[in-house]
Amino acid sequence: MTGPVLTARGLGKRYGRRVALTGIDLDVPAGRITGLVGPNGAGKSTLLGLASGILAPTEGAITVLGARPGPAQLPRVGFVAQDTPLYAGLTVADHLRLGARLNPRFDTALATARITALGLDPRQRAGRLSGGQRAQLALAVAAAKRPELLLFDEPVAALDPLARRTFLSSLMEFVADLGVSVILSSHLIADLERVCDHLIVLANARVQVAGEVDDLLEQHVRIVGDRGDFGALPADAEVIQAEHGTRQSSMVVRAPGGVPGAERLGLEDLVLAYLGRATDRPLEVAR
Amino acid sequence: MIWLTWRQARTQTLIALAALAVLAVALPALGLALREGYRVDLGGCASCVDGATLARFEERFGLLLLLADVLLLAVPALIGLFWGAPLIARELETGTHRLVWSQSITRGHWLAVKLGLLTLLTLAVTGALSLLLTWAASPWDLIMGNRFGALEFASRNVVPLGHAVFAFTLGVTTGLLIRRTVPAMAVTLAIFAVVQVAVPFAVRPHLRSPITESIAFDGASAMKYAEGFSLNREGEVWVEGYALPGAWMLTGTARLMLPDGTAPAKELVEACFERGSPEEGPACLQRLGLRLTVSYQPGERYWTFQWLELAGFLTLAAASAGIAFWRVRRVS
Repeated sequence: MTGPVLTARGLGKRYGRRVALTGIDLDVPAGRITGLVGPNGAGKSTLLGLASGILAPTEGAITVLGARPGPAQLPRVGFVAQDTPLYAGLTVADHLRLGARLNPRFDTALATARITALGLDPRQRAGRLSGGQRAQLALAVAAAKRPELLLFDEPVAALDPLARRTFLSSLMEFVADLGVSVILSSHLIADLERVCDHLIVLANARVQVAGEVDDLLEQHVRIVGDRGDFGALPADAEVIQAEHGTRQSSMVVRAPGGVPGAERLGLEDLVLAYLGRATDRPLEVAR
Repeated sequence: MIWLTWRQARTQTLIALAALAVLAVALPALGLALREGYRVDLGGCASCVDGATLARFEERFGLLLLLADVLLLAVPALIGLFWGAPLIARELETGTHRLVWSQSITRGHWLAVKLGLLTLLTLAVTGALSLLLTWAASPWDLIMGNRFGALEFASRNVVPLGHAVFAFTLGVTTGLLIRRTVPAMAVTLAIFAVVQVAVPFAVRPHLRSPITESIAFDGASAMKYAEGFSLNREGEVWVEGYALPGAWMLTGTARLMLPDGTAPAKELVEACFERGSPEEGPACLQRLGLRLTVSYQPGERYWTFQWLELAGFLTLAAASAGIAFWRVRRVS
């Protein structure tokens, strides 16, 4: 694939005096499913809003598919906003028609096939669909637009576990079929772990860590030892989080060269370590 | 986008067309009854019948015409409330703007189509109603000679179009700024009501500088054009409701004065009123050379005023739409 789908340099967004994002530097590679994780209010929606062009940055610069987000980018970027907004009074078929009328490259055959495969009644009003069906319809409309980059803001947050799983497998099918890059935000790490190959951890309006999931897992370890006694850490190691119990201490360490004998970390623990460092607020973990 | 706008406006369009269909029967029926009444009750000549016959005719049709006038005044407000205010506010409230704005068309394009098509619908509905009422009420307006009346002026010819387009864009912009449907409706109604009251009383009379004229008080014309005249305790004579045919009188009552602008002596005036018969009083005042000063907008300015008011309201509508286009690019 070509260069990054999204580049940010010193990117920031304020709403009045409230800082939603600040000092964001990112390079999101093409052809991946990128997970954007962080607690509520971390700035995930703002980052996706900036990428989609719905919001304008107040500082720094953002480049999406090689250009600044704007009218020219609209056909190239698909965006499904939080709560998957749909017109409650319009039918499933109306939504496909809306997509076909408003997008030059709309793939009606793809969308229709998707709706049929899901068993949705085209005459059903969107307002009467279940949460899972709404998300699927929004996904079908966004994907049939044939964008180069698809952005999803918390698409599964309101769904039950089964609907979440179905939605995410639909998403992965689309990615495989269309070769589209995806950025997906969620506060549910378990879901991201299943589908993402690139991860951005966002908290307190800043990027805490970003990288390929495999690299991140390789580089992070947990070291457990007697309280206060860890021996020598490798020179390139960075302590992300340390917990001290009455007798034992435990540290999460980023060590690109590895630490001999240390315990590998799951993605969830890794994310929690970074969030723990960034904020005292606990992250919601879904099972 | 045209399809989506139509799909979203389908229900309201059908309701409007149904209401229009009812009125397209009712208003011509009123017009025909009015013409029939004019022919039969008044014998085709309003100035030929006595006061009582004319009063019966007025009583028979006055209320219906009042209702029709009020309807034409209400339609723009209803359009502003139920078409204008929810147009964007409903999208912002339900979040669907984030769906439609992530399609391949710009927000400006989206707003332009929505605003444009519904403005056309507004013009069509209001235009049809105004045409129907203007035709239906034309014999009545001719008899009453009150085309400049606050209700009559705003419910005939082209002025209702201006009111309706303004109310609609006002609703749209208010909805975009407030982002919630019901408060936007309330604010739209409040602003539009203030404008509809302020314009006939504070703005319309000044669209052209009125003609101020000093008219010699002669008994015959005073009896013909005025509702009456009276003498008060201070010995001032006031002429009430002096109305030139077809003109919009801005002077309600006018005091009789001497040609040099001074007040006539109290004794002279009182003497005139002491001479028993009703004809002699005016004739006596006429002999004193009294004049009254009235200011008015002449009847031939009617169409100037219609077009000026239409242009004024369309300008307000354009300004309001301009704010909407500016604002829609900044909404998140």
